[in-house]
Amino acid sequence: MASPFSQVLLDGLFAGGTYALMAAGMALILGVVKVINLSHGAFFTLGAYIAYALAERGVGTPLAAAPLAAVIAFAFGVFLGKSFVNPARGHPFALPVGTLACALLFEQAAQMVWGPHPLSIEAGAPWTGPGGLFIRRWGVIAFLSSAALLGGLKWVLSARPGLPLRLIAEDEEIAGSLGMDVEAIRYLTFGGACAMAAAAGALLSPSGAVTPTMGRAPLLLSLVVVIVAGMDSVAAIFLLSIGLGIFGNACAWLLSPQWSYVAMLAVVVLLLSARPAGIVVLAGRRD
Amino acid sequence: MVTFRFLLRALLILIGPGALFLHLFPLVSFAAPAVAASHPAALKIGVLAPLSGPYAAGGTSFVQAATLAVDQANAEGGVSGQRVTIVVGDTQGRVDVAKAEALRLVSREKVSALVGAYLSEETVGAMEVAAAHRTVLLVPVAATAEITDKVREEHARYRYVFRVGYSLPQWAEMIGAFLSDRKVRRYAFVGAGIRWNRELGETLERIVAPREITPVYTAYYSAGNPAFDTVAVAAAAASPDIVILADPGRNSVSFLKRLRESAPTLPALSIGGALGDARLAASVPLSAPVYVQAAAWRGVSPAATAYVERYEHRYGSPPVGYSDTLPYDAVTVLVAAWRKAGSAAAEAVVPVLERGTFAGVAGMYRFDAAHQAQWGTGAGALRGTFVQWERDGARIVFPPR
Repeated sequence: MASPFSQVLLDGLFAGGTYALMAAGMALILGVVKVINLSHGAFFTLGAYIAYALAERGVGTPLAAAPLAAVIAFAFGVFLGKSFVNPARGHPFALPVGTLACALLFEQAAQMVWGPHPLSIEAGAPWTGPGGLFIRRWGVIAFLSSAALLGGLKWVLSARPGLPLRLIAEDEEIAGSLGMDVEAIRYLTFGGACAMAAAAGALLSPSGAVTPTMGRAPLLLSLVVVIVAGMDSVAAIFLLSIGLGIFGNACAWLLSPQWSYVAMLAVVVLLLSARPAGIVVLAGRRD
Repeated sequence: MVTFRFLLRALLILIGPGALFLHLFPLVSFAAPAVAASHPAALKIGVLAPLSGPYAAGGTSFVQAATLAVDQANAEGGVSGQRVTIVVGDTQGRVDVAKAEALRLVSREKVSALVGAYLSEETVGAMEVAAAHRTVLLVPVAATAEITDKVREEHARYRYVFRVGYSLPQWAEMIGAFLSDRKVRRYAFVGAGIRWNRELGETLERIVAPREITPVYTAYYSAGNPAFDTVAVAAAAASPDIVILADPGRNSVSFLKRLRESAPTLPALSIGGALGDARLAASVPLSAPVYVQAAAWRGVSPAATAYVERYEHRYGSPPVGYSDTLPYDAVTVLVAAWRKAGSAAAEAVVPVLERGTFAGVAGMYRFDAAHQAQWGTGAGALRGTFVQWERDGARIVFPPR
């Protein structure tokens, strides 16, 4: 029989997977579009509600809802990117305020459509692993999906199709002078990141309650992970997410459940003090 | 020339103020005052509840139930021919807002009495306004001892305050009786790290000790980023007979899912109302009993059944039995007191509330010297209800019928 602490560490791995899943889209927006998108959590919530709406009608599972959520969020994301993010990029304070307003508006809209009461989707029984460890289904999905998404992102950025993204991330003027449609690539990237957040929301919807404000906590954690890891290394984002998940659960077990979040944020502050530009910064890159 | 791009930008510019406006002034707030304004001669009840913020779900049920009670009172002829209406104040789950809204309802809306608030902290703030303006305040759900302590210690000042809901010792006594009935000897107590939870956990431990029932694990998680996994694993590892889940909000269902994954055969008792929602209960595996404590439930009495059916007919889903049922009874008791007193004046209503007996959905309400309704296991007390979820609905399991 496995010890409870082994279970806690395994659950930490899955919790880290959920952070990484959200952080994947956030890394894309911060790295390429270079804006702080505070509506990222709202797209996560949108994905969860789409999964609930489908489950309520007996159509599909969260796995089936994820592509639909991604398509809908991509359309919204492109609209937001084209009409607001691109024109307002020159004003550093306008974007966080504007995207926050969009998030609040979405929360109110969700409350009007689905009501303020929490909703829930059946999670399914966990699998039993070696030593009697419980393997939570949504945890496996989060871990594998985040690994796939971040792995895919790493491949895209390092292969030929990702060249425009890399070039825009490095120097927009040069990209423009080479004939690239920088604006279009930016809003399409924004839409893609929103789609990733919505897919994450749909996949994780069975793990908890679906509410209008459920995207707030993942938004904060994903922002923290991406900023601390730095946007240059996708692998660092994944490993830091997993590390924080395990560390948070270990603190909750060894100290107190109420101290786990405080301890995680304390580590974040320490890491940022030591490496303000992020844990991994490419050689030669200026702060 | 007006271009498509210009229209898009104009739309986006409107989104910001629109979102902030909706955030600050929730939709329910518009509807309720309009009801009052259309009946200038009506008697007004000020209802204080959080319609935005983390407790918006409970606050919405609160207002829905109060609205239903007022409609029922009007269908029965109102008070001496006068209609009764409600005016809603959104407390947002914040003490300062609760006090400001209570003041607005009393001084500007000229309500005859207040019902609320939701959290203990909010209610203690609203008490000050009620005392200063000599306005009757009926407290449906806030459980802290501070409310009745103030009434007992400074009776002249706080004699306008009456608690319809259960106090913490009464609550613990009812839970203790249920645990004895289920032959529980060891329990785990977990929940959100908020004031009433901690006070209830300590009170329960003291009250069940003579019954040789002991807590084997106690934990409170942060509401912002709860460590569900770890708490669920630790609770299961302590090998309790039951896990008592004290969380009135959305986190209760998330935690119960984790608990079911960690310990599929461990029974759980939800107090605080959230898991009284049939839609939530339907999403949780019933591999072990899931109990819910409620003030009343369908089938407990003809009055309770009629109330549940009216609520379900009006709002599309049955009440959870706590954050809706107790406000319903608070309004019902208030209207009955107005009728008995023949007036809504506080000085006439307070003696009637102190001496009278009032029928509600949960049973017959009478108040003690500290203006606390009599709940518990004693003779004549309101007993509450414990139900067990099954695939086809909930079954009443305690008190034995």
